[in-house]
Amino acid sequence: MLKVEGLTVKYGVIPAVVNVSLEVREGQIVTLLGANGAGKTTTLKAVMGVLRPAVGKIFYRGQDITSLSPSLRVRLGIALVPEGRGIFNRLTVEENLLLGAYSRSSREEIVKDLEEIYLLFPRLAERRKQIAGTLSGGEQQMLALGRGLMARPQLMLLDEPSLGLAPLVVRELYTLIEKIRDQGVTILLVEQSALVALGIADYAYVLESGNVKLFGESEVLKSLDEVKRVYLGG
Amino acid sequence: MFSWGYFLQQSMNGIILGCIYALLALGMTVVYGILRLINFAHGSLITVGAFFVYFIFFRAGLSLPASVFLVLGFGGLMGLVLDTIAYRKLRGGPEVALLITSLGFYTFVENFMKMVVSPQPYAFKTPPYLSIMYKTQFLTFRSIDVFIIVSSIIIMLIFHLFVKKSKMGIAMRAVAENLEIARLMGIEVNRVISLTFVLGSAIAAFTGFLWGAKYGQISYDMGFLTGVKAFVAVVVGGVGSIPGAMLGGFVLGLAEILSIAFLPTRFAEYRDGIVFAILIVVLLLRPAGIMGVKEEVRV
Repeated sequence: MLKVEGLTVKYGVIPAVVNVSLEVREGQIVTLLGANGAGKTTTLKAVMGVLRPAVGKIFYRGQDITSLSPSLRVRLGIALVPEGRGIFNRLTVEENLLLGAYSRSSREEIVKDLEEIYLLFPRLAERRKQIAGTLSGGEQQMLALGRGLMARPQLMLLDEPSLGLAPLVVRELYTLIEKIRDQGVTILLVEQSALVALGIADYAYVLESGNVKLFGESEVLKSLDEVKRVYLGG
Repeated sequence: MFSWGYFLQQSMNGIILGCIYALLALGMTVVYGILRLINFAHGSLITVGAFFVYFIFFRAGLSLPASVFLVLGFGGLMGLVLDTIAYRKLRGGPEVALLITSLGFYTFVENFMKMVVSPQPYAFKTPPYLSIMYKTQFLTFRSIDVFIIVSSIIIMLIFHLFVKKSKMGIAMRAVAENLEIARLMGIEVNRVISLTFVLGSAIAAFTGFLWGAKYGQISYDMGFLTGVKAFVAVVVGGVGSIPGAMLGGFVLGLAEILSIAFLPTRFAEYRDGIVFAILIVVLLLRPAGIMGVKEEVRV
């Protein structure tokens, strides 16, 4: 579904990601692991089109999307739930959700999806008129996910969704992510906490200083001594 | 020597001036909210709007509704041109580059107008139906006053509804809060910014017409101080807040008129100074403006 080939992204002259290639198959959860500064977020931003690659190509459903604007990529069915959630704090919960559907035109469908999101996240329904900045961290992450879903994406890019959340909330969140996958949305998941991510992912890539260091099925990676030592703390 | 009748009368004058400041402040506050730009060029729209109406309404004799419609369209078009040729390329660069460009655009327009229409002020004669006098027990006013108040309220209402309810309006607020994230939502940020300029400039051009019709005189440099005062209204009301901009406009208009009305006559020539004194006092008491919220620093 998504294919990244030889991606290099630079901030000025400093490369953040060098020659990264990866593939995400339809219906899978693929995770991108690595320490701070390994280039995970940069990779996601390049896939979304917010950052332009210096070298490399990005294919989505066989189509070369490397030169498309983010808004066109949203239209094609890609959505990014950014790191730190990126909620519009001064807008209401409902306005945030509606913005997720900005690129869609059918009002009825949007209203229908809104109701579905409220079923999936009942707490957002209770707070629909509330200013989003007043939500708790967990609720904001739910809102960010819900907003991403409002775009009706086929491919969702999640950037460190568990960051700063209590373990219990993380578990709830991951159940939701699996639910989203079961509804047919393909997911590329960036995480620092490898343990949880490997628990639900089918496939994983490990980035180190901008390079792909390891990749393979989650089950296989989990059992590698090196991964255990460095990322799983065992 | 205080009389309530005089106070009421002057308050009404203050509210009318306040309408004009409030309309201008609307356009400035949304632009500031998105681009962090004090848009001096906004003032130039007042001037060109006033002269545009002078020529099509008084010289060419178009009807009032047609003139209003055309001046709104003309202002909007100017806003689009301004954004496209002057600002778009500078986005993402230092904010001061935008600021200097807006000052440059204003200066260009002012000099251009000076050259084209001459440095002499023009008499802006209102047609008879706009100068009908009404006398009530306390108030004396003309039909133009009613026109200004009613049209201002309509514009403010429409603008408010647009920003609060419409899809574009929500997108506009989203872009103002976080441009990067707004882009992720699929919002074409440049289009939203253009629209902001179009709306603000259309309103500013219309305001130029109101100014001329109310005060009877227009000149090539009328937009500068008015524009700056409108920005003072923005700051007094709370930068980036749309209700704040409107409130700031009224506070400023009332304060300006009432202070001339009740201070000894020799202070009248300091009316502009009084406006800025108000700014200083408000900022000392409420640094974020009357309705402003403290802003997180952008990094």
